[in-house]
Amino acid sequence: MATEVSEKQAEADWRVGLSDDQLKDVLYKLKLCRYFDERIEALYRQGRLPGAIYSGRGQEGTHVGVAYTLREDDSMFPTHRDLSAQLTKGLDLNRVMAQYWGRIDGFTRGRDGNSHVGDWLGHKTWTPVSHLPLAYPIACGAALAYKRRGEQRVAMAICGEGATSNGRWHEALNVSAVHRLPVVWVVNNNLWAYSTPNPLEFAVPTVAERAVAYGFPGVRVDGADVLDVYRVALQAVDRARAGEGPTLIESVSLRWRGHAGHDPAKYVPKEMLEEYMQHKDPVKRFEELLLAHEVVDAEVVKRIQERIERQFDEGYEFAQASPFPVPSDVTRGLWVEDGYWQGEPSRDGGTG
Amino acid sequence: MATARVESGAAGHGAEPRGKRTETGEATYLIAIAEALWEEMERDERVYLLGEDIGAYGGAFKVTEGFIDRFGPERVMDTPIAEETIVGMAIGSAMEGFRPVAEFQYADFMTSGFDEIVTAAARYHYRSGVPLPIVLRGPSGGGVRASSFHSTNPEPWFAHAPGMKVLCPAFPSDAKGLLKSAVRDDNPCVFFEHKWIYRRIKEVVPEEPDFLVPIGRAKVHRDGTDVSIVTYGMMVHLALEAAENLFQKGIAVEVVDLRTVHPLDTETVLKSVEKTSRALVLYESHRFLGVGAEVAAMIAEEGFQHLDAPVMRLAPPNVPVPFSPPLEDAYLPQVADIEAAVEKLSAW
Repeated sequence: MATEVSEKQAEADWRVGLSDDQLKDVLYKLKLCRYFDERIEALYRQGRLPGAIYSGRGQEGTHVGVAYTLREDDSMFPTHRDLSAQLTKGLDLNRVMAQYWGRIDGFTRGRDGNSHVGDWLGHKTWTPVSHLPLAYPIACGAALAYKRRGEQRVAMAICGEGATSNGRWHEALNVSAVHRLPVVWVVNNNLWAYSTPNPLEFAVPTVAERAVAYGFPGVRVDGADVLDVYRVALQAVDRARAGEGPTLIESVSLRWRGHAGHDPAKYVPKEMLEEYMQHKDPVKRFEELLLAHEVVDAEVVKRIQERIERQFDEGYEFAQASPFPVPSDVTRGLWVEDGYWQGEPSRDGGTG
Repeated sequence: MATARVESGAAGHGAEPRGKRTETGEATYLIAIAEALWEEMERDERVYLLGEDIGAYGGAFKVTEGFIDRFGPERVMDTPIAEETIVGMAIGSAMEGFRPVAEFQYADFMTSGFDEIVTAAARYHYRSGVPLPIVLRGPSGGGVRASSFHSTNPEPWFAHAPGMKVLCPAFPSDAKGLLKSAVRDDNPCVFFEHKWIYRRIKEVVPEEPDFLVPIGRAKVHRDGTDVSIVTYGMMVHLALEAAENLFQKGIAVEVVDLRTVHPLDTETVLKSVEKTSRALVLYESHRFLGVGAEVAAMIAEEGFQHLDAPVMRLAPPNVPVPFSPPLEDAYLPQVADIEAAVEKLSAW
């Protein structure tokens, strides 16, 4: 059931039903995610950012493509590498930045950091745990809730190909098929699980074909082409919404940077990295596509970029001005009944 | 509420039907737990059950016998043998407004869902502000010749995962009232049902639909002035038997049943120690870093001024639960061991 999306099919409707405004929006999101990732890494390397960074660079086509198919009330279960998918779902950049600096306006009020971002109460995204396969069973639960209530909603979970080696991944796929849950399984196959390449993670040619074993379709798509990703994700989302059960999407790209900020990723062959950066850059490719189809011109692209840079700078200022949590709140918010999360937190922590 | 041991009926697998209340309103622990679930499902449509073989079969110990006929397969959901996903589904559906109660066939198998419990469920509210009203039920404890993989007391593991409430009732009424409280609680709760108690202990159990036992509150089951035994679960029953024997020897033992292991009711424990000045902490989880280790440390730290003797612990050694009856009896604290420990404390 694993199929490559043919070029012919892509040509037939290159814009996949998206309007000019939506296409421009997709470009904005791709460029936002790229710019955010680059600036955050620069700040990290300058020693101006606490914690760790998990770059999603090179994989924006996957992140934006799958996330753009979701409605506001659909849920997403991303990993810490999928901030781009969360930004596409609409998370407030200011609050994301506050989270990176451990401030009270972050989504976790300083209880978690960096890209362990989630906004369940707003944009219905799960706050990731570092044990990445754990999100898959939880997505089953959200999907079960939609099914039980007869809602036309979808849960989408994202993980890397490394997580597919783990038992929880297989458990969740199996249960989702048994109970025909409205869930979309996305595997961001960026070719390297930390330093481990695909052949040391699985002995089948593709992740997508594993879907056969569970009894639902699996699709492999080129993560460099955001519209192809969007197309297959939309089919999967529609299928789930129609009560036809799960789909597995394997979107292939390359992780351009190391596993985390500390990792120079010397295990990635130089030629491979150059090939992907020069010929399979999802952001550049989509920008060129829109220019070629005259959906945007150079001026529009320039304005989008300026808007993004302004937005980042504002987010940075917002984060620096946001207070730290007060130390005496360290034990609060463990239990629901202590009321910490129902009220406004103290803003007396200073900005140090 | 007189408590009696039910002599008949195996405490092991639930091949036998769950049974019914007696004409005088006495219910076993097993029946009391089933009543709690049934009443909460009647009360609140968001409550549903999931687990292995809980539907047509009625669960490994027959707690959910007959539930599927009343509530249907969606609310009494049989799952594949996939414990991480059972917990994960409980989490995800709770995030979307349901109040799941997941059954593990034995508490031992909670290790197969451990990561979702301690990494995902326990920490989620602290990190995100999202309530997770889930209950994870597991038959725990030894004394039924079920060996290493069907006899554990894993409560310390979960008490050590901040964000989980850990409940270990010893009596049918407490089991019913605590389970109902857990279902209504907005935090994740682990509910340990001691399988030795299931069909052995019965008492008159309240029938009021809103009968609740508060989480985090211990109960003094027997008043005494000489020594406090602080315990929970099956050990409560052994402690009460020992207390009766010791009373004949002139030692008045107070038995404090924690009922909830986490959060711990330190106030009731300290009040008892203040009265008796001697404390035996009796527990069925391993002695080393078991629940009683924390209780003993707490008494030593906060109740030192009341003590006339060192705080003493009585608990199983740090080995897996063995099978052969003489070995398991040597492993588990026995009534005679408890009496000896109390006499030693009294001699101070």
